[in-house]
Amino acid sequence: MKRLAVAALLLALAACGVRGKDQTSVIRRRLDGEPKTLNPILATTDAEQIVVALLSRNLLDYDENLNLVPGLAEEVSDSPDHLVFTVRLRPDARWEDGTPVTSADVVFTLNAVMDPKVPALTRRSFFEGLVKAEAVDARTTRVTFKTPSAGRRDAFNLWLLSAAAWKDGDLATHPRNRNPLANGPYRVGSWEPGRTLSLVRNTQYAGPAAPAEQVVFRVVPETAPAFAGLQSGDLDEMRLTFAQKKDVDAKAGTPGAPRAVTFDELSYAYFGWSNRSPLFSDRRVRRALTMLIDRESINRNLYGGLAKLANGPLPPAHWAWNSSITPWPYDPKAAEALLDEAGFRKGPDGIRHRGNLRFAFTFSLGMGSDVQRQMVELAQQSFRKAGIDMQIQPLEWAAFAAKMDAGELEAWAAALNLDPYPDLGVSWHSAQVPPTGLNNASYRNPEVDGLLDRLRSTFDRGEAIRLLGEVQRLVHEDEPVSFLNTPLTKWGVSGRIEGVKTSPYGLFLFWPGASAWRPAAGSRPIS
Amino acid sequence: MLRFVLRRAASALLTLLGVLALVFGLLAAAPGDPAAMAAKAGARASAVSPEALAAFRTLYGLNRPPLERFGIWVLRAARFDFGISLSDGRPVGARISGALPATLTLNLAALLAALALGVPAGIAAARRPGGRLDRISGALGDALFATPSFVLGLVLLLVFSGWLRLTPLFSDGGGIRGYVLPVVTLALPTAAFLARFVRSCVASALADPAAAAGRARGEGSGAAVRRALRRSAAPFAAMGAALVPSLVAGSVLVERVFSVPGAGGLLADAVFARDLPTVLALTLLSAGCVVVAAFLADVVSAVLDPRTRDAAAPLAPAGEAA
Repeated sequence: MKRLAVAALLLALAACGVRGKDQTSVIRRRLDGEPKTLNPILATTDAEQIVVALLSRNLLDYDENLNLVPGLAEEVSDSPDHLVFTVRLRPDARWEDGTPVTSADVVFTLNAVMDPKVPALTRRSFFEGLVKAEAVDARTTRVTFKTPSAGRRDAFNLWLLSAAAWKDGDLATHPRNRNPLANGPYRVGSWEPGRTLSLVRNTQYAGPAAPAEQVVFRVVPETAPAFAGLQSGDLDEMRLTFAQKKDVDAKAGTPGAPRAVTFDELSYAYFGWSNRSPLFSDRRVRRALTMLIDRESINRNLYGGLAKLANGPLPPAHWAWNSSITPWPYDPKAAEALLDEAGFRKGPDGIRHRGNLRFAFTFSLGMGSDVQRQMVELAQQSFRKAGIDMQIQPLEWAAFAAKMDAGELEAWAAALNLDPYPDLGVSWHSAQVPPTGLNNASYRNPEVDGLLDRLRSTFDRGEAIRLLGEVQRLVHEDEPVSFLNTPLTKWGVSGRIEGVKTSPYGLFLFWPGASAWRPAAGSRPIS
Repeated sequence: MLRFVLRRAASALLTLLGVLALVFGLLAAAPGDPAAMAAKAGARASAVSPEALAAFRTLYGLNRPPLERFGIWVLRAARFDFGISLSDGRPVGARISGALPATLTLNLAALLAALALGVPAGIAAARRPGGRLDRISGALGDALFATPSFVLGLVLLLVFSGWLRLTPLFSDGGGIRGYVLPVVTLALPTAAFLARFVRSCVASALADPAAAAGRARGEGSGAAVRRALRRSAAPFAAMGAALVPSLVAGSVLVERVFSVPGAGGLLADAVFARDLPTVLALTLLSAGCVVVAAFLADVVSAVLDPRTRDAAAPLAPAGEAA
C-alpha cells in the first residue's frame, strides 16, 4: 500500500511537468507568429530572432548603447588594410552538449552563409566579398575579404551553427532547425507547434546563469487577446498600441498590474515621393508638402505625445544623428508660397497646375496600420486646402512592398527600421535607384553620392559621424521624402519582471537583453 | 446511377483543377516576390544583394516559367508530394498535417454544435410561424448571422476569458475548455443560418396540402414535422455542402482570435509570404472538402429524388412529386 502511495505521488509529480515547475521562476512571453526556424543564420522574423537571441550568443554582441562587445568571441581584430579579420573565441564557450565552440564552427557558419543552396538572405549580404574563412587553431579563425568596408565589423554580430550538429543534410530543411544546439543562456526544452515554445536554462552556458529557470513563449497572433493575457498575468510582456499604453498607465500602481516601458528605436515614419515624377522633382515642392503636414499635431493626437519630429534619414536614437538640423516647420502659408514659386498655381477648379500638369496623384499605403492611415487622411485634407488632389490607394502589404521596391509608386507611406550600422547608401545613393536597389524615391544628389562613397572606406568613428552628419544635412535640404516622426516603442511588461533594459535596437537583440529578465523574488503569475 | 456518379466525379475533378489554376494564376500575377518577402521578413532596411535573391529563386525553382511550375506542382501533388514551403523549407505536407487536426476538430465540433442548435430552433420556430419564439429566434439569428465571426470571437473572449475567467484565454490553456469559445464562435452564425433554413423548409411543408390532409386524418404534429423533415432531406443535403466553405472561411479568422494553430492561420501566412506551394496545397484541401461535400450532396439528392439524376429531365413541382 505504501509503495502504491509513493508511486501515485511520483506519478502526480511527473504529470505536473511544466505546470509543476516553480512558477516564480518562469517568464511567459508572447510571440506574434510561429517561428518557422530556429536556425541562427536563417532566422529573420522578429519571432524567430527574439527566441534565437536567448539560445545563442553572437561572436560580437551589441550592448544597450549599440557598441560591439565580446560575445562568443573575446576579440575580433582586423588587419591594417581591413581585409583580414581574426576571430578569437572565448576559451570557455560551449554548446549545450558540453562540447567547445571552435573555429570549425565559425568556418562552417560562414561557408553556410555564403552557400547559394542556403537561403540565408539577409546574413549573406553582410558578408558579400568574403574570399575565405580558415581555422588557424581551435579558437582562432582568419576571415579574408576582397574589399574593405567600414561596417564590416558589425557583420560579426553573428550567431553560430554547430558544425557537428548541422554538418549532415540540407541546411534549409535540417531537423536541427527546430531543435538547435544552443550556446547561450537557454536551450530549447519543448516546442508545441503553433502554441508554446519552452526554453530552459542551459547549464553548460559559460556566462552567469539565466535568472529565470524557464521562458515559455506563447504564439498569440492577435493583439487584443494578448493584451487581455498581459492584464490577467497569462503573459509577462507584449508590444503595446498607444490606446493599450493609456490603459496600462491608468492602472499603474495597482499591485500585480503591468507597467509600460517606452524607448526610442532606430526607425522613422515617412511619406515617400517619387523624385522622378514631374510633380515631385523640385525640392521646393517636396519641402512644401512636408510643411503642409501638421506633424506636431499628429504626434500629439495620434501618438499621445509619444513621438518625436524626424529631421532626416537618421533617427535621434542613432549614434550619428545630427541634432543641429531643425525639422521643417508646419507652415501652410510658406508652403503655398513655395508651390507658387515652383510654378504650381491654383486653377479655377481649386487645384494647382503648372502648364498642363495638374497637381493630382495617387498615394499608396500598405494595409495594416490604422495610425498610418489616419496620418495619410489628415495630410490629404491639408493638401486639398492647398490645391493638391491626392487620392488614397490602400494595397495588400506584399503587393505594396513589391511596387515600392520596384520604384513604381508615385507617393506612399512607410516606416524604415535601421540596423545599428546603417548603410545610408542603400536608401539614398543614386546607384541604388530601383530596379538595382532600395532608393525607392529615386533620389539623386552627386554630393551625397560622394559622401556615401567616402563613408564606405571611413573606419574612424569620429570622421564617420562628421560625414553622416553632412549627408543628413544635404538630404534634409533636398527633402526627397517627407520625414515625419520617430514614434517611441511602447512595451507592456508584467509588474513582477525585473531587470528590463532598453536599447535603440529594441528590448531583445542586444546583450544581455531579455536574458537578464528575472521574476521578482516571491512573485508569481496571477493565473 | 453509376453514370451519374462518374459524371459528377469527373466534374468535381475538373472543378478542382480549375480552382487550383485560378489561385496559381492570381498569386503568380499578383505583385510580390517570394524572395523579396523572405528578405523583408526581418523588417530592417538591410540591403539584400541581387545575387542573394537570385540564389533564393533558383533554390526554390521560382525562376522557371509559371506554367512549368504549375504543371510540376500538379503532377507531384497527384503523388501526394506538395513541394517545399518557401517560408521555412519544410515539406508542405508535414506543415499541413501539423495544422490540420486543430482545424478539423474545430470545424467538426462547430458543425455538430450548429446542427444541435440550429435544427431544433428551426423546427420550434416553424411550428408556429409569426409566434414569439419565431420572432425572437429570427431576430437573434439575423444578428448572429450578420456579426463578423472575428468580432463575435473577440467579444466572447474578452467577456468569458478576460473578464469572467470562465474559459482560458488561449486554446491550449484548459484542454477541452480551451475549445469551447472557438467552437461557439464558429457554430453560432452557422446555427443561425441553419435555423432559418430549417424553419423555412418545415414551415412550408407544414403549410402544404399534404400536411393538412394528414392533420385531417388525425396525424399528430410530431409526425407531421418528421414527414416534413423527410421531404426536406434533399435541400438539407445541398445546404450541408454549402455550409462547408463558410465554416472553412470562418475558421481562418476564428483561429487567429483564439490562437488556434490551424490550417487557417497557415493559409493566411502563406498568402502574405507568397508561399505558392503551401497556398496551393491548402487550396486543394479546402476546395477538395467543398467539392466532395457538394458531390456527396448531389449523390444523396439523387438517391432521395431520382429526378435530379438527369438534369435535362423536366422537374415536377415539389407538391406534385409528393
